[in-house]
Amino acid sequence: MTATIVAQQAINGIVLGSLYVLVALGLTLIYGVLVQINFAHADFVTFGAFAAYFFMHLLGGNYLASIAVALAVGALLGWAINLTIFAPLRHKGSELLPLIATIGVSTIMQNGMLAWFGPIPYAFETPYSQRVFRVAGTFFTAQSLIIIAVSTLTIALLYAFMKFTFLGKALRAVAQDRETAGLMGINPSYLIMLTIVLSSALAGMAGAMLAPVLVLTPFAGTTVIVKAFAIVIIGGFGNVEGTILAGLLVGLIESFTTQYFDPGLIDIVVFALLLLMLAFRPTGLISERREENV
Amino acid sequence: MSDAAVVAEYRGSRRRWAFLAAALAIAVLPYVLTGNYWHTNLTVCAINVLLALGLDFILGYAGQLNLGQSAFYGLGAYVSTLLITRLGIPFWGAFAAGVAFAGLSGVFLALFAVRLRGHYLAIASLGFAVIVHQVLLNWISLTQGPLGIYAIPPPPPIAIPGLPEISFRDPVALFYLIAGFALLVYVLLDQLVRSPIGETLTAIREDEISAASLGINAAAWKVFAFGIGAAVGGAAGCFYAPFVGTLVPDAFFITESFSILAMVIVGGMGTLIGPVFGAILLTLLPELLRGIGDLRLVVYGLALTLVVLFLPGGLAQAWRLVRAKLTGAPVSAR
Repeated sequence: MTATIVAQQAINGIVLGSLYVLVALGLTLIYGVLVQINFAHADFVTFGAFAAYFFMHLLGGNYLASIAVALAVGALLGWAINLTIFAPLRHKGSELLPLIATIGVSTIMQNGMLAWFGPIPYAFETPYSQRVFRVAGTFFTAQSLIIIAVSTLTIALLYAFMKFTFLGKALRAVAQDRETAGLMGINPSYLIMLTIVLSSALAGMAGAMLAPVLVLTPFAGTTVIVKAFAIVIIGGFGNVEGTILAGLLVGLIESFTTQYFDPGLIDIVVFALLLLMLAFRPTGLISERREENV
Repeated sequence: MSDAAVVAEYRGSRRRWAFLAAALAIAVLPYVLTGNYWHTNLTVCAINVLLALGLDFILGYAGQLNLGQSAFYGLGAYVSTLLITRLGIPFWGAFAAGVAFAGLSGVFLALFAVRLRGHYLAIASLGFAVIVHQVLLNWISLTQGPLGIYAIPPPPPIAIPGLPEISFRDPVALFYLIAGFALLVYVLLDQLVRSPIGETLTAIREDEISAASLGINAAAWKVFAFGIGAAVGGAAGCFYAPFVGTLVPDAFFITESFSILAMVIVGGMGTLIGPVFGAILLTLLPELLRGIGDLRLVVYGLALTLVVLFLPGGLAQAWRLVRAKLTGAPVSAR
């Protein structure tokens, strides 16, 4: 019996964790290439969720198609924030100004959505949440299978893109040394734009899959993003493998804390872990270069 | 007397006049802007000025991006209120304890964070704010969680023999108390930032390695700045509780940190006067724009973003530009 409960919570944790990974990967990619933090990333998640919701409810679209819509909307938001915030501020060379500006964008988006969509939570239901499979005493919904399949596929594609394509290699080159990469004929501005668009697309897409799990309000992304920040630091800023590991870890912490303790303790446990990591191992789970900030 | 001494004395006397004018403005304001609505707004302004001053000392002078100011604010409010309502400790004793507790938690966070810079510190302090908010929300036996604490009494009346008793049930008296305290904090911080301590902090902010080569212990000074800034934030919390009369954890959610940050940035970080006006502007602007309903807070975000993009020195920079235009003098750096 206990083994079943543990297995069930492990499944729940991995499903949730893989969504956190999608959100956190975007943050970590942007950090890797720009050494900047996009605070509005959370609101891209929320906006993606709303885009999927309205695509399904107003246009009668299919849920799987709505994930694609959320992805496209996220990409568009990423393009816009690069154009208005990151690109103009890049030449000022400040570490903090872009971060503060994106806090402003986040405030605009949250309260804009509040005015637009109202504070009452939306019930986001997919036809796949009802279909349940039973394997050896544990339950899977079709929805969680979709989440695992889509996020695994996305992460694999992203990985292959970074490892094997010219653009991916160029991205990693810019992440390692922007100036030298520029000398090799790589256009950093274009690659930075590409990184932000990709990252934001991941956020939008994660929103469409998180929406059925979360309480969908204009502030839904905030609860996710604080965890995503914790994941990015626990995994090591800019470190893709570390982020994946930390994302799954946080998902598991969340499901087991809910089962054995109290859901109110989740954030406390996650952030206590974050502060401990910062105190004793600030380079993250998997150490890499990039120690100038710690 | 040397030239420098003459200039210093001139500036000093100008400062004294400015403080006197500020005290006068505080005295007159409740009679210009009358009625409960305006008195409430004025007191909110005074509390926000305190919050902005505290953050500005950490961010503008010591250069540490602290996103945890909401936590110090909340700790000050809850610690002082719980001491009053649970243990019956008199207001001013509880006030001192609340300020000290907030200051010490700032020191605690800084001890964690001194090795971190920039983004890491931002996230660590944000994490601290998340933890404090969650503890306030979930430690129900102590804080009553989301239900909140109600009927918090105002500070006790002050009775001076021969004069009528001053009761802080009167909103004007409460405004005088909080605004007067904010002015006191301003004067003290103004002394502090112009002292060698302020110069030390600025040196660390501008170039930590060079500062270290001059024998400055950067870590110790950052901890000091965090302690002071957090204590000022805690004082704002100690006043907030009896002013509003109720405490709920969501008043100290992380978005409150962002609002305080907006006040400092819009006003102009690294100056003391800038954040004062930033706090007043961002408190009153949404009130003046009440007609636009839920879009009120969009104004905060818009102001923050536009200032960062086009006027990173905030109102203080705008004022220097205007003054330079008027007098034809060159723009001074700070």
